Amino acid sequence: MLQCIFLLSDSGEVMLEKQLTGHRVDRSICTWFWDQAVSQGDSFKDQPVIASPTHYLFQVVREGITFLACTQVEMPPLMGIEFLGKVADVLSGYLEGLNEDVIKDNFVIVYELLDEMIDNGYPLTTEANILREMIAPPNFVTKMLSVVTGNSSNVSDTLPGATSSCVPWRTADVKYANNEVYVDLVEEMDAIISRDGALVKCEIYGEIQVNSHITGVPDLSLSFTNPSIMDDVRFHPCVRFRPWESHQILSFVPPDGLFKLMSYRVKKLKSPPIYVKPQLTSDAGTCRINVMVGIRNDPGKMIDNITVQFQLPPCVLSADLTANHGAVNILSNKMCTWSIDRIPKDRAPALSGTLLLETGLERLHVFPVFQVGFRIQGVALSGLHIDKLDLKVMPTRLYKGFRAHTRAGLYEVRT
Amino acid sequence: MAPPAQSQRSPSPSQPSGKGEVSDLKLQLRQLAGSRAPGADDSKRELFKKVISYMTIGIDVSSVFGEMVMCSATSDIVLKKMCYLYVGNYAKGNPDLALLTINFLQRDCKDEDPMIRGLALRSLCSLRVANLVEYLVGPLGSGLKDANSYVRLVAVMGVLKLYHISASTCVDADFPAVLKHLMLHDQDTQVVANCLSALQEIWSSEASSSEEASRDREALLSKPVVYYLLNRIKEFSEWAQCLVLELVAKYVPADSNEIFDIMNLLEDRLQHANGAVVLATIKVFLNLTLSMTDVHQQVYERIKAPLLTLVSSGSPEQSYAVLSHLHLLVMRAPYIFSADYKHFYCQYNEPSYVKKLKLEMLTAVANESNTYEIVTELCEYAANVDIPIARESIRAVGKIALQQYDVNAIVDRLLQFLEMEKDYVTAEALVLVKDLLRKYPQWSQDCIAVVGNISSKNVQESKAKAALIWMLGEYSQDMSDAPYVLESLIENWDEEHSAEVRLHLLTAVMKCFFKRPPETQKALGAALAAGLADFHQDVHDRALFYYRLLQHNVSVAERVVNPPKQAVSVFADTQSSEVKDRIFDEFNSLSVVYQKPSYMFTDKEHRGPFEFSDEISNLSIGAEAASNVAPVSRVEANGNDLLLSTSDKEESRVANNNGSAYSAPLYDASALSVAAAPQTQSESAITSSASGYTPQASFAIDDLLGLGVPAAPAPSPPPLKLNPRAVLDPGSFQQKWRQLPISVSQEHSLSPQGAAALTTPQVLLRHMQAHSIHCIASGGQSPNFKFFFFAQKAEESSNFLVECKINTSTAKAQLNIKADDQSKSQEFTTLFQTALSKFGMP
Repeated sequence: MLQCIFLLSDSGEVMLEKQLTGHRVDRSICTWFWDQAVSQGDSFKDQPVIASPTHYLFQVVREGITFLACTQVEMPPLMGIEFLGKVADVLSGYLEGLNEDVIKDNFVIVYELLDEMIDNGYPLTTEANILREMIAPPNFVTKMLSVVTGNSSNVSDTLPGATSSCVPWRTADVKYANNEVYVDLVEEMDAIISRDGALVKCEIYGEIQVNSHITGVPDLSLSFTNPSIMDDVRFHPCVRFRPWESHQILSFVPPDGLFKLMSYRVKKLKSPPIYVKPQLTSDAGTCRINVMVGIRNDPGKMIDNITVQFQLPPCVLSADLTANHGAVNILSNKMCTWSIDRIPKDRAPALSGTLLLETGLERLHVFPVFQVGFRIQGVALSGLHIDKLDLKVMPTRLYKGFRAHTRAGLYEVRT
Repeated sequence: MAPPAQSQRSPSPSQPSGKGEVSDLKLQLRQLAGSRAPGADDSKRELFKKVISYMTIGIDVSSVFGEMVMCSATSDIVLKKMCYLYVGNYAKGNPDLALLTINFLQRDCKDEDPMIRGLALRSLCSLRVANLVEYLVGPLGSGLKDANSYVRLVAVMGVLKLYHISASTCVDADFPAVLKHLMLHDQDTQVVANCLSALQEIWSSEASSSEEASRDREALLSKPVVYYLLNRIKEFSEWAQCLVLELVAKYVPADSNEIFDIMNLLEDRLQHANGAVVLATIKVFLNLTLSMTDVHQQVYERIKAPLLTLVSSGSPEQSYAVLSHLHLLVMRAPYIFSADYKHFYCQYNEPSYVKKLKLEMLTAVANESNTYEIVTELCEYAANVDIPIARESIRAVGKIALQQYDVNAIVDRLLQFLEMEKDYVTAEALVLVKDLLRKYPQWSQDCIAVVGNISSKNVQESKAKAALIWMLGEYSQDMSDAPYVLESLIENWDEEHSAEVRLHLLTAVMKCFFKRPPETQKALGAALAAGLADFHQDVHDRALFYYRLLQHNVSVAERVVNPPKQAVSVFADTQSSEVKDRIFDEFNSLSVVYQKPSYMFTDKEHRGPFEFSDEISNLSIGAEAASNVAPVSRVEANGNDLLLSTSDKEESRVANNNGSAYSAPLYDASALSVAAAPQTQSESAITSSASGYTPQASFAIDDLLGLGVPAAPAPSPPPLKLNPRAVLDPGSFQQKWRQLPISVSQEHSLSPQGAAALTTPQVLLRHMQAHSIHCIASGGQSPNFKFFFFAQKAEESSNFLVECKINTSTAKAQLNIKADDQSKSQEFTTLFQTALSKFGMP
């Protein structure tokens, strides 16, 4: 049970405070929190639950805004964290992005939203679709409308029908001139490659994002050609469990607009698309560095946005790095970034240079880890294929669009 | 929104100072109050916005309360909402002015628009002014009967708010009964969920005073209610599902069919997109199958994949919380996760506390088949930029080595660490090699060869230095230059800041002396002289002790200081298994994230349903403090045992010893005084320990005092009789509880009938009274109960005090027994357990 929610700006200023129960939480807790955050730095910012002298604090940071919730009682930690995450999602959907100004300009809407999302410390409705019907988002159209009609209320007059409907994520009366549905496979590849080039771990985390604009209450079913490769799946509440269990078919009534239909994990993959071969040789206080990048398993589509990033160890005094392709950038905190983008056809990109070590140090003891980034449009590296998407009942014409893309998640090469 | 007192804090320069603006606002609001001009609402809205934005940045705007209320007569819903917000914030501080708002809020509660009705009702209940509660009852009553579900769900929460303002008003109006009806019959699931959470709170706090409420609370866990909620679970919102699942986790099914039905029904919840639902479901599964070992294993298998997905998918905040839960499960059943060890590999840019958890899990899941890979991976981290993690991973390698898998390869790696020439790596590796040698003396040849090459000048950390010195002393016959290294260390005695190192130096030089007397004699003399002059009490005492021992008889001294050693089989664990079980019972709670059971960290005022009378609640805190101390001192003892012990006895004994009793023989004298100090009659303590009744202290004391106190054969004691009409007032109970040490701490299982019969604390009280054991305080709700009992010996006024924590879902009772007469405590424990196990029997 949460007692209070604060929104803090990236300078630690309290932008918003919402007391939820009779136990008023003094806002001095934010001062405490911010002092800790400043003194402890990044490691503090990553902790989701913090014990302060008086309260337990949940924090979720999105786009520089800290969402802070306080409680004094034992409660499921994920409930607090998930709820704050939902608040952040809903707000950024409503305000079309999150930043200090947009929250300050629309704080009345934020209050209204929080009022509907949580009551007396227990979360109520967090479905953006339903909230949208209760409180209209402050978009351009409503602004225009208010100027024209003079009626400037952003609260709809009727209560949403869905609060009482059996499909809580969708209202009954949606109408579109063109019925369309877009399905995106978005995958992230996590991999660890050891210094001798062996694949230590390679795994894909994928999501299916659906954007549906369909009249009425459509019933969709989506099937895959190779559902068995998925290791574990998680569904949006709209997915029916039985058809999946028996035939691996996703049968669902979609919410209106963009949503995450399912997420899945595929493990034990064998074919990372690119290789990165770093070589470091130390000699008498300097270290030669040499990095080669190339295609290892051609996915059949263009690989772009390739970057290689590494943190130079603190014992390196200076670095002189050049590349035969792309740009090399060294930040003041010794973070080196090599942006390659696409691999040219005629030659393999290579980075080389020398690192000057601290005086007294003969050779490098601490080796940097290379973090690789890339993007591949048009292919899901896990090999997952969508077989077909059917619309039951509704005979209307439906435009269906499919896309896939893969990008590197935590893709690291050790030296 | 700060309370008035806060507003004096100087605002930052960018913020308006407030004063002038507020009075300005006040003026403008007053002008607008009565206006019905066409643009009035718009200008009002601008002003309201300003007021609220001042409120938000912490400027006190309570002075415009009257004007705000005057302006609130409007049909504009946004204006209304802002006004509600303002009123809700300042009403508590201005109860008189709040009365002004009642009128318009009550009127809004009868508005045509359900949205306005709901909002008004919510604001009305959020005023939280005690003397206005009479105005709440009417609107709440009609709100609960409203045709619109939105109004009903607001009203249900309103009842809870009313209860917190004035419990008696709420109960008198019979609202709990209305909520109960709504919970079982309402169409809207959100209303049902709100009822459930409100009733749980109301009944839990009523239960201590009213039999009916506690019966009602029990009824929530009855089969019809639980099944009713389970059958509708898919209609509930995700948050309400969490609430229901939490309730189901406490439900005790009658038979295994029921268990399987519930698990089948809930299986798809494991694939829910909301992590909170997934974890709540997992908790239900774990709790249901606790008594069925084989199914419990299968549950682990089933929940593995969802947990691993949650860790790798969600936001970083989420994955840490899930990882903590995973950590708990991995520690309980490492073999189930041994094939998934790659999931616990650390990624480069993970925060270090995540890496730390992962390292612990990697250590736990290591077995014959994956040790090689895991150790290879851990060695990668040793070269990590993050030094604490590098240290941690070297320690992990050592722990795996101590688990006995593939020691050969690991020893090689550790020795490689020693050659890495990084001081922190060397330091950690030294400590590990020392532990390894204590467990596997057969590796001494290989290790000593490498350790001998390390220059003691390169080792700065006290722990590592102590380890090195220990090895020098222990293996002085194999290291040719050991006496000379020790000698050079002794020469620098004054520069050695750590008392620990100096203590070790004393012991090591002693050991070395017994093995190579001619070479060491000079160093020993210097060490003893330096030790005697040392300002540190322990060092001084140890030096004096050695000195006198040597004076008395050298061969006795050798027997004491350097006895033949057995290899250590198991090192004591840092967290007691009881604590781990407690955390497991609190799965899906903050306890898991903190790795401490909640009684160790939550604020005592908010501990929740435990309700004691004032006096007794002090007592329970005292008891908690005592149990708090135990694990801590145990941890310290562990830290010490690796280094301070000179006799190197088998450590497994530590597990059942109390921290204070654990030490090398030379500390026993002080240990004895520590153990005896809290006891009122120290004589009885000695006799009792000599007769071997108390499991603590006695081992160590016997060792040393075996010569001092002749162990008289204890006459077989007469059977223990208890006084059926014993009296003890809470004050003296409390006092005794603080003074006495825990003499017996045990876990005892209840008969299934007993666990089922224990629905309210009262039942057990009557039962125990029949066995002449009286209760002084009790509390808790199903499945957790807590009791304090006492009993007196029939013929004399010697008391036994018992703290008894019962969990009915696991049918386990945790007993902590204290006694005036320690020698009888075992006997009393048996008596108590017999009485307890008869509970529930016809």
